[in-house]
Amino acid sequence: MVPLEWYIGLSTVLFVIGVVGFLIRRNILIMLMSIELMLNSVNISLVAFSHYLQDLRGQVLVFFIITVAAAEAAIGLAILISLFRNKEAVHTDEMTEMKG
Amino acid sequence: MNSADFIALLPLIVPALASVVLLLLITFSRSHAVSVLFTLGSLLLSFLLLFVAGGGTPRRVTPLFIMDAYSLFFIGLLFIAGIVVAVMSSRYLGERSMERGEYYVLLLLATLGASVLAAGSHFASFFAGLEILSVSLYTLIAYRRNDDRGNEAGLKYLILAAASSSFLLFGMALVYAQTGSMDFFQLAEGGRVPDLTVVLSAGLLLITVGVGFKLAVVPFHLWTPDVYEGAPAPVAAFIATSSKGAIFALLMRYFSLMDLQRFPAVWYGIAGIAVASMLIGNLLALRQNNLKRILAYSSIAHMGYLLVAVLAGGTVAKTAVGYYLAAYFATMLGAFGVIAFLSGEEGDAENLEAYRGMAWSRPWTAGVFVAMLLSLAGIPLTAGFIGKFYVVAAGAGAALWIPLIVLVAGSTIGLYYYLRIVAVLYGRVPEGEGGAVTGFPGRVLGMTGGILLTVLTFALLWLGVYPAPLIRILQATVARLVP
Repeated sequence: MVPLEWYIGLSTVLFVIGVVGFLIRRNILIMLMSIELMLNSVNISLVAFSHYLQDLRGQVLVFFIITVAAAEAAIGLAILISLFRNKEAVHTDEMTEMKG
Repeated sequence: MNSADFIALLPLIVPALASVVLLLLITFSRSHAVSVLFTLGSLLLSFLLLFVAGGGTPRRVTPLFIMDAYSLFFIGLLFIAGIVVAVMSSRYLGERSMERGEYYVLLLLATLGASVLAAGSHFASFFAGLEILSVSLYTLIAYRRNDDRGNEAGLKYLILAAASSSFLLFGMALVYAQTGSMDFFQLAEGGRVPDLTVVLSAGLLLITVGVGFKLAVVPFHLWTPDVYEGAPAPVAAFIATSSKGAIFALLMRYFSLMDLQRFPAVWYGIAGIAVASMLIGNLLALRQNNLKRILAYSSIAHMGYLLVAVLAGGTVAKTAVGYYLAAYFATMLGAFGVIAFLSGEEGDAENLEAYRGMAWSRPWTAGVFVAMLLSLAGIPLTAGFIGKFYVVAAGAGAALWIPLIVLVAGSTIGLYYYLRIVAVLYGRVPEGEGGAVTGFPGRVLGMTGGILLTVLTFALLWLGVYPAPLIRILQATVARLVP
């Protein structure tokens, strides 16, 4: 059996890749993808912990996360389309209506 | 689940059902008045059902929810805020040509999400409530589809809220790995929480980041002014009050069950956040000329004041938090209410200069606004003063001298920018520029606005002059939070 530490390591690495992508990329689509990566790394760790603890609650929470991630992506893309129609921008550098 | 469980859960079931029914209703009738009345009716019904549900408390309904006096008090507060925001929105949307029914569906769902948070006692209900609240808010913020600022604000909020949710979830997963439980009450049982290990402290740190973002405390506050500016004024009022109040209710429950004092690292982290929020929130507000942005920075500072009470812990602190939140709700709703009711089709009435000399042409409107600002500043005779007094009393009881000194310094800085707005309201209109309030000529509060704001002002003064009844309610509800 693969030891639990490996799962913690894998999910941490994936999560950090997501965070770094979220912080350094300026394209909204890539940022949304990085968020998906972060959420899925949480899913991996929850399933691993759940198996390790012999307790199903962690896996149920994974279903919650998958559902919410889908809803978030749908609304995010909808707002992005509406923004793109108004001003043809997908980069955060171009979103400078409000400052201060 | 048996029938007693269902009765205890009724205040949460009704808004959930109402949002589905309203969604069906607007496919038949797009009448604005019907949507508004339905929303107000269902929120009022849910509020009244709290008294029915109160008969069987405290009651654990599945591991997910705890319906006790503490959660009922906060759910009641959230429903009242929902009703006030719905009334504000009815006028705001009524004057604009856009789809209206869906707005109220989202408002009901957001109120439901906030109430789930207030009653949550499990990581799953914490996450579900948070996301019901946030996902409705994304759409509400970007509700003015043709407005660039609205879209931008909605997208900013979505990106940052989704990222903060993943931090929160990773933290939950790590705490779950260490303790083997997601239930707040099981976590609190003796021996379940081991001494601070690397994994557990990382988990608690990540949860703090996620929650800190939602509360908009420094250093997780960067989204706040932009989102408040871009969102429609009633939605900004909702974010400032219900969204933060609900998280705060949950945070208090979680920390008092986990016994925050046992984790010095987390305790000092929160102390640092509180101090930074009080200072930076107030300092950044000084240079703003947009009312919504001023209120945004002001709300950051107010969350810092509230965290001081959380740090103190104990019964007095719980009463202080309850009182402060009630006063803060009334004040913020009133302040945003003035902006919402004065806003016209061309944009929200948020430019400070447009208010110059308003007190001479519209003494009552200006008077209400001044009352709200003085309460935010914590001037005696207003609810804000009593709230701040209680927070200071709780902090002094726990000998938190450094946060208290910063609180006093922050309030002093705050006084400057609140009084600056008052000075503008009573300022002299430059000659030759036509009448006063050139930014929104002909805009008056109207019947609903007048009544709503008068009620809020009286609530504010009443709470400030005669706080005993609310204190008694708080001592019977919030202060009895276990342990």
